[in-house]
Amino acid sequence: MTDFYEWVRTSIQALAQQGTLPQAFEYSFVINALLCALLIGPLLGGVGTMVVAKRMAFFSQSIGNAAMTGVAIGVMLGESYTEPYISMFCFCILFALLLNYTKGRTQLSSDTLIGVFLSVSLAVGASLLLFVSAKVNTHILEAVLFGSVLTVSNTDMNVLLVVTCVVLAFGIPLFNNMLLASLNPSLARARKIRVELMEYVFVLMITLLTVACLKIVGAVLVEALLLIPAAAARNVITSLRGFVILSMIISTVSCIAGVLIPMQFDLPLPSGGAIIMVAASFFVITTIMRAVFPAYRTAKN
Amino acid sequence: MSGPSIQCQQLGLSLGGVEILSGIDLIIPAAEIHCVIGPNGGGKTSFVRSLLGQMPHSGKVKISWQAGSCQKTIGYVPQFLDFDKSLPISVYDFMAMICNHKRPAFAGFSRGKRELTELALERVGLSGKSKTQLGSLSGGERQRMLFAQALIPQPELLILDEPMTSLDNRGEEIFLSLIEELRSQGVTIVWIAHDLQQVRDLAATISCINRTLVYAGPPQPFLDSDEAAKLFRFTRPHADTPPLSELASTGSAQ
Repeated sequence: MTDFYEWVRTSIQALAQQGTLPQAFEYSFVINALLCALLIGPLLGGVGTMVVAKRMAFFSQSIGNAAMTGVAIGVMLGESYTEPYISMFCFCILFALLLNYTKGRTQLSSDTLIGVFLSVSLAVGASLLLFVSAKVNTHILEAVLFGSVLTVSNTDMNVLLVVTCVVLAFGIPLFNNMLLASLNPSLARARKIRVELMEYVFVLMITLLTVACLKIVGAVLVEALLLIPAAAARNVITSLRGFVILSMIISTVSCIAGVLIPMQFDLPLPSGGAIIMVAASFFVITTIMRAVFPAYRTAKN
Repeated sequence: MSGPSIQCQQLGLSLGGVEILSGIDLIIPAAEIHCVIGPNGGGKTSFVRSLLGQMPHSGKVKISWQAGSCQKTIGYVPQFLDFDKSLPISVYDFMAMICNHKRPAFAGFSRGKRELTELALERVGLSGKSKTQLGSLSGGERQRMLFAQALIPQPELLILDEPMTSLDNRGEEIFLSLIEELRSQGVTIVWIAHDLQQVRDLAATISCINRTLVYAGPPQPFLDSDEAAKLFRFTRPHADTPPLSELASTGSAQ
């Protein structure tokens, strides 16, 4: 894949040097970041609709915070400071599986349980980060936590590409089953859908996505990109198709704009922060549209 | 087509240390309407969920499908649909979610499924509501949509969990005529019902469940008994008081 990335970078850089594309495209890190943005934009936008429909916003946030702990563990165990993927994937998957397993075997409400897991994960992460902060440059940790287009490498793009393929391979054919399982588990079971398995598949999808996207959006802001585009789309859309498509568009535009705007205007912003702010502006616009135009208020809230 | 019969042997269910059901021995005949009645909290929904294999019950539940039944299709109409009412999911989206095999609902219907859906919606009187959001449907319309999904594919066993809740008169008429039509086609129908007059009119057999099996058999003898009057809090102070079945015609039992 490295040769392919190199070919894409060279081609785009050539176009930028000819003046066909903006000057920013002469830098390979910009091209890396935009390629990642083009992958994660539609993906997070699409999966985000399910996060909103399944009311799992708090869960995705807890996975984002678990990724922070995964970073700390990775650095402690001697993994690469910039790509501690093994620790992050292992810790986050373990966290997600344990959380989902416990959810099915306790009388506690889902948000209470997630709150407990999230707090414990944060406490462990904060404690470990104190130890590792002496070992690494704080800016590297900031990049992992809040995103940085400067640090996107071929490895990051490979990880993202593999995760994208896995999420598409499971997410598209199981979309209906996962959604029905959350709308009415009893009805889903009567239709021979394995509700518990669907829950596990979904939480694993969220976990993989969160870890894979952290270089662009940042570990603690991925959940915002899962939620905000879907929430913005929900304000003005009345069909599932429109909901998914608009959420994907908002998410993709936010990712691209969030990468390009800080560079274009020399703003000292982490890419994650910029992406979320662009997405949030879409949410504000659609909220105002819903409030002003009665046509968008078809559903009873 | 003929639906299956169902045999329960010593069916019991305990959840969190609380005994919900115990010692239920029951045979539900094939291709008939069987109503499950009983007081609130008596375990009716837990009973039908045990039949569906959705509860960690003890004892045996055997669904005896007729020879030649390769699909073994169970239609299920739940009591309600718990969801975020502001979600942009239309009736078509919901039906596509139910009907499509692998094609995601946001990509539209799989081949031939749209026609099946339109037919099912027409049968429940919702043909004009296909593009309406679920959150904008009335409770009765949502219940009819849930009935429509149970018709795809044509069920051999239909389980109805208090389907009449929140239905208006027209909705009730549609439901009752559909239930009768399905029975005439040989579908086995297990129906949790509250309206004892409907039970009396339509059921071939009933079972009354209040943690245990209180009664199983034809509806008439039980509905006219003092035991039923006591269980459903109708009183018959004098011997000449009309039987429960007549009282029931003026309203629903608890």
